[in-house]
Amino acid sequence: MKFVDEFRDAELGRVLANEILATVEPGRHYKVMEVCGGHTHTIYKYGVDDLLPANVELVHGPGCPVCVIPMGRVDDGIAVAHRAGVIFTCFGDMMRVPGGAGTLLDAKAEGADVRMVYSPLDALRIARENPEREVIFFAVGFETTAPSTALTLMRAKAERVPNFFVFCNHVTIVPPLRALLESPDLRLDGFIGPGHVSTVVGARPFEFIPADYGKPVVISGFEPLDLLQSVHMVLRQLADGRCEVENQYKRVVPYDGNPQALRVLAEVFELRPHFEWRGLGFISHSGLKLSAAYADFDAELRYEVPGVRVADPKACQCGEVLKGVIKPWECKVFGTACTPERPIGTCMVSSEGACAAYYNYGRFARERVVV
Amino acid sequence: MTDCGEDHCVTCSDEAVAMRVTEVRPDGIAVCGDAEVLTALVGDVAPGDELLVHAGAAIARAP
Repeated sequence: MKFVDEFRDAELGRVLANEILATVEPGRHYKVMEVCGGHTHTIYKYGVDDLLPANVELVHGPGCPVCVIPMGRVDDGIAVAHRAGVIFTCFGDMMRVPGGAGTLLDAKAEGADVRMVYSPLDALRIARENPEREVIFFAVGFETTAPSTALTLMRAKAERVPNFFVFCNHVTIVPPLRALLESPDLRLDGFIGPGHVSTVVGARPFEFIPADYGKPVVISGFEPLDLLQSVHMVLRQLADGRCEVENQYKRVVPYDGNPQALRVLAEVFELRPHFEWRGLGFISHSGLKLSAAYADFDAELRYEVPGVRVADPKACQCGEVLKGVIKPWECKVFGTACTPERPIGTCMVSSEGACAAYYNYGRFARERVVV
Repeated sequence: MTDCGEDHCVTCSDEAVAMRVTEVRPDGIAVCGDAEVLTALVGDVAPGDELLVHAGAAIARAP
């Protein structure tokens, strides 16, 4: 397939690996964070990290939208799902995320009408097909996913669908990155920027990272050679003493993003003063809610939402994993009490989560096989 | 193409998937195989166009 096969070419991968080896300074330890769950998945599916020198460490940031949902929001969703007459819809991974009172899948087993959908548009279709019921879409995701929710809401408004509501948990990528950069227990040398978030927002919002924190950023595609090249570009900047935002994924990402998508987001959403992130706590202006023009569709205004805060389980170290402070296998419950079949922490739920990626691709031990 | 299979769930990740438009319905929704796709962010589309689709919305044209 065009733009796929050539980005999985093993021989080119070895060439890039040799270039990376020639770029690194012996004796220096490099920590590069990829902030996107899709990148984490590719790294472990294709063994990208095994092609890197031992002194280049990839750290996995908070880029899986399912993994950063706090337990209290899941419990709020479950409370709404149990209301009589409600059809509660969400993406598949979200159904298995544990709250303080079980999962949405448990709620379904207890009789709540919880349905998995592939898109907000599917949820709107369910609302049209069930005019006597109230249909709620539990919206999660970064700026990649938020436009789909926004377009669906615009359609619902234009068609005057009265029984469609959105429980909004959309988040934005820049505030948590700033929070991570302010974190005293994290030392990073550079960032692999998110590819498809940048398709929407562009590369420009990441300029604060080199400007304010002196770290290079390279926006990356999702194939293994994309990631290898992006790591090389970060290391090249460090070797040259440069520090800027570079766009490795130019075949898809315009530097200024998708202006139409940004207009749609601005119309349908507004920033919350603060939003809780699992493991990172409350971060200012990091979450989206429906704008006043779409208040009629806001599930949080329509229903009484408990709004409780639930502390993460003590045994779970998802917060440290999301900040890149520890590797998944350093968590006490990794692969024992916490597995993809019975997750304790959100990082083990979604396949984009760092813990699930390590578990599914057999990374149980600290030793890396460097080729 | 949109299954939550053993690989990963395209609707949940940051990743978009390339899809080819097979039909454009009168209501403005593009059909890509068995998926319905909103296309307002990428302008006019026609059967045969390739789009990068995430969670039921095309966020860019495929390269």
